[in-house]
Amino acid sequence: MLIINCPYCGPRDQSEFSNGGEAHVKRPDGSKEIGDSEWGEYVFIRANPKGLFYERWVHTHGCRKWFNCVRDTSTDEILVTYKLDEKKPNLNNFKSVVKTPSGEPEVGSGNFTVEK
Amino acid sequence: MKSINLKENQFIQFHQKISFKFDGVKYFGYKGDTIASALLRNNINLVGRSFKYHRPRGIYTCGIEEPNALVQIISEYSEPNTRATIKKIYEGMEIESQNRWPSLENDFGSINNLFSPIFTAGFYYKTFMGPHKKFWKNLYEPLIRRAAGLGKPPKDFKGISNHIHHNVDVTIIGGGLNGLLAAKSFINSNYDVLLIDFEEQLGGIINNSNKISLIDNKEPKDWLKETIQEIEDSKNIKILKNTLVTTYNYINHLIAIEDRFVGSKPIEGKVNSTLHKIRTGHTILCNGHIERFLSFQNNDLPGIMLSSSFEKYMCRYGLAPSKEPVIFSNNSNSNSLVYSLIKAGLKPKAYIDSRSGEEIEPNLFDLIRKNDVPLYTNSQIKGAFGNKKIEKILVEDSSGALNEIKCDCLCLSGGINPDVHLFTQSKGLLDWDEKDLTYKPSKPFQPTITLGSASGQFNFDNLNSDINEKLKTFKVKKLDVKLELNTNTKYNIEKLWEVSPQKKSLWAKSFIDLQNDVTTKDIRQAITEGFDRIEHLKRYTTNSMGTDQGKISSINALGIVSDLLDKRVNEVGTTIYRPPYAPLSFSAIAGRNCYEFYDPERKSPIHSWHLKNGAIFEDVGQWKRPWYFQINKDESMHDAVQRESKNVRENAGILDGSTLGKIEIKGEDALEFMNLIYTNSFTKMKQGSARYALMLGEDGMVKDDGIICKISDQHFIATTTTGGAATVLGCMEEYAQTEWPNLKVYMNSITEQYATFNISGPNTREIMKKAFPNINFSNEEFPFMTFQFHEFNGVPIRILRASFTGELGYEIYIPSNSAPKIWDNIQSLGKEFGLAPYGTEAMHLLRAEKGYIIVGQDTDGSITPIDLGLSWMIGKSKKDFLGKRSLTRSDTIREDRKQLVGIIPSNKVDKLEEGQHIILDKEIKSPVPMLGHITSCYYSSTLGHDFALAVIKNGHSMIGTKAYASTSSMSTTGVDIVKPVFYDEDNKRLVS
Repeated sequence: MLIINCPYCGPRDQSEFSNGGEAHVKRPDGSKEIGDSEWGEYVFIRANPKGLFYERWVHTHGCRKWFNCVRDTSTDEILVTYKLDEKKPNLNNFKSVVKTPSGEPEVGSGNFTVEK
Repeated sequence: MKSINLKENQFIQFHQKISFKFDGVKYFGYKGDTIASALLRNNINLVGRSFKYHRPRGIYTCGIEEPNALVQIISEYSEPNTRATIKKIYEGMEIESQNRWPSLENDFGSINNLFSPIFTAGFYYKTFMGPHKKFWKNLYEPLIRRAAGLGKPPKDFKGISNHIHHNVDVTIIGGGLNGLLAAKSFINSNYDVLLIDFEEQLGGIINNSNKISLIDNKEPKDWLKETIQEIEDSKNIKILKNTLVTTYNYINHLIAIEDRFVGSKPIEGKVNSTLHKIRTGHTILCNGHIERFLSFQNNDLPGIMLSSSFEKYMCRYGLAPSKEPVIFSNNSNSNSLVYSLIKAGLKPKAYIDSRSGEEIEPNLFDLIRKNDVPLYTNSQIKGAFGNKKIEKILVEDSSGALNEIKCDCLCLSGGINPDVHLFTQSKGLLDWDEKDLTYKPSKPFQPTITLGSASGQFNFDNLNSDINEKLKTFKVKKLDVKLELNTNTKYNIEKLWEVSPQKKSLWAKSFIDLQNDVTTKDIRQAITEGFDRIEHLKRYTTNSMGTDQGKISSINALGIVSDLLDKRVNEVGTTIYRPPYAPLSFSAIAGRNCYEFYDPERKSPIHSWHLKNGAIFEDVGQWKRPWYFQINKDESMHDAVQRESKNVRENAGILDGSTLGKIEIKGEDALEFMNLIYTNSFTKMKQGSARYALMLGEDGMVKDDGIICKISDQHFIATTTTGGAATVLGCMEEYAQTEWPNLKVYMNSITEQYATFNISGPNTREIMKKAFPNINFSNEEFPFMTFQFHEFNGVPIRILRASFTGELGYEIYIPSNSAPKIWDNIQSLGKEFGLAPYGTEAMHLLRAEKGYIIVGQDTDGSITPIDLGLSWMIGKSKKDFLGKRSLTRSDTIREDRKQLVGIIPSNKVDKLEEGQHIILDKEIKSPVPMLGHITSCYYSSTLGHDFALAVIKNGHSMIGTKAYASTSSMSTTGVDIVKPVFYDEDNKRLVS
């Protein structure tokens, strides 16, 4: 289970939080005319990368505040959490990211416990 | 096997006898004994039958790695698959052997051993295939399940477990030599340290063997006592004994289980185990090593055990399982057993080593020569033989000649492995050591440090420097401990995985996994059949599966596979050692989250009245709601529901609606916020009026509905469905924070603060007048969809004129504490007007007659307001609201969308059913084009026949036509498609 650093409450157990999917997805302004594809993109399409990912979380069983984070989806490591009104961090700042346990290929998952 | 007690042992209290029963026979052991040591003391070595072939099995080890001696403890906890080698006996303990019938001595299932040549790897997969797939479920599986398996699960759930959370800087796992030294360096430091050991006494190898002769020039015993005292005195170190770490999760999260009743009978009602959930900054693994065995014919006979286990029985339990065991080894780890035996005045019957004379350590040579122990170098055991116990062995010596040796005990050592289970659970990488022939921890993935034999350091030369180096990141004391050894040797091993049997026979078995009855032949066969990847091989042969998880079996199998495939062991890889390290009872995992604490029950303030008045309850989310009220025991649900609904239509009914979600929304921008959240427009709405409102998802689908009361532009109260309350509040909070943070608006749940009574029926106005004499309930003063605040006997109440039944109705909101009194008052005043309580089922019937939907029953997340015929609820002039743009997506404006309609049977006596498909043709020729299905269906005594709501393709334009309703269980029925309203279409009863 992860430890998540709530920007308002500090580090807490993952069981107190709920995941809210990709962060920094802008809701199109409803008062403007937009096409089906642009609106569909907002409603249905989310990124699902292996590696660094901007993500939203909410401290459901705590302060109930939403916040953003950068998570490495291949190791589950949460590199930084920040408030909604803070600028999103540049992913290039996270060079010393831990590799997946097995140094597995970029696509798919492996099951290598042995160092080759 | 004749055992003898070695007097003088600090852990066994020989003056304190303990009686226990094994398979119904009474025996005695001593305080401090495990089941295994007590049985060995009584010269019992046949303790169980094996999993597949029902072969007789004895005690193989002296620890958690035991694959054979699994027993059932008969007590109120009825613990199955208990490892006899770790469970301590207590007075009156009753133990039973497992997997045998009718008795351990004469087991019917051992017939399997005769047929064993056909029970090879993959036997079940290959054999139980046909002739029909039903055969597996109904015949094969029940039969196989009865024949195989281990202990019986307990009938009752009696165990009580606590969960304790720890948050520490450092956790040291294992209180052996290295664990104690690591803890010692943390004494009085600024780190919070947890030291966990699975035994009752700290010390590990110091207690279990005679390897070490002096520590800091002191007797190991004395050094141990002093060190433990120092650690206990240190305020920053907490010691958990009898606690086994079973799981090493991500982010240094450990799970450990503590046995609270070691050596005593669990007391009913007392906590018998504690589950520790540990968050730690660093984990230091000092959990030592596990010895492996060697494979040769019949290497599973009772009387065979691991050599370090034999030594542990001597040192730790004051018991030599045999006076003259034969020792067979390929490495130097068994040297200290020879030393211990001789020190105790005993002597091995023979020492057999696969290594040559030059490789064997000189001091072992001296010891053996001096004591005239028959020595076989360059030799191997070809097989062990005997009836339910070992009687003789066949040794092939260096010249190739065969020697028969009679013996009652054989000690094996096939080398040692670091106990890497926790390390691999933490996702650390292993590397094969060609010299020591084992996998050793290599790269940690988390902040994990391994010390001592757990790290693959099998010698003590670098003890101080290794610990000091690995702990240098901490600000702790440097260690300088002087160690002297009894058998001063470096670990040395010669490769030997398997000895082939003397005679080729279909029945000859060399076991590789004792718990799962896997033989070396199975491994060969699997590879021949193409299962040459180690994870496939594991599943095909079941090698290293089950509770064993390859503790003593896996390395040997890898060695054999690597030889067969002619690959390096690193290329073969290893299977994953899965958590938990040892079985963990469900009761420990459940902790206190069981029975009434498993899932909280929410009850309305009126709950106790419902209980007294014959309510049958229904679960709605976590809420208990009255489903219907039984006036006597004989009344059926159908009769009760019809009686209740008829009474609402003719007189008046009262429903406890307290479970409805209630959210209060306040703030400068509350009006704008509500306009964005709901489809309706609240701008022109008058203060004091209410409106039925819909909430959509961004995809345009109906997510929830409720009534919105407008107190002012800055203050609203919304109701939600009972099940949707938390989701709606969550959604409001999310959008307020993430999309419209500029809006000044605040929201809070007031569900439990207020009770709600829904009173409806033609007599309602009279009842309300009586109950609240100061309020004017006339249609002009209190019109439909308005609300008023009043004070009643000092209690602030809110009355809303609304109805979910189609009759004249009022909803009364009362602070929960005052609700029961007012409820009682209305009950007694309403009697003369025929007022009776009704439950959720009657409510569902009444609302369906009016065509009112229930979100989640008549909708399923794919229905828009337009599909429901509720376009009038959409504030089209509003610039934006949740899901607005989606209502004009190409998908939502499609013509053939499923739309809400009413259904009645063409022949009024026909029955309908929820979930029935609506189809066009009576003739069923597959594939049948499906129009949609019935979402709600009831019998109405008002209408006198069945009726239903349904969602069907193009439904709105099909109103007035005919179709068929069909399920496989009923005959196809002709139906009329009608408007989804069956009662009082003009709402006359509602608004007058």
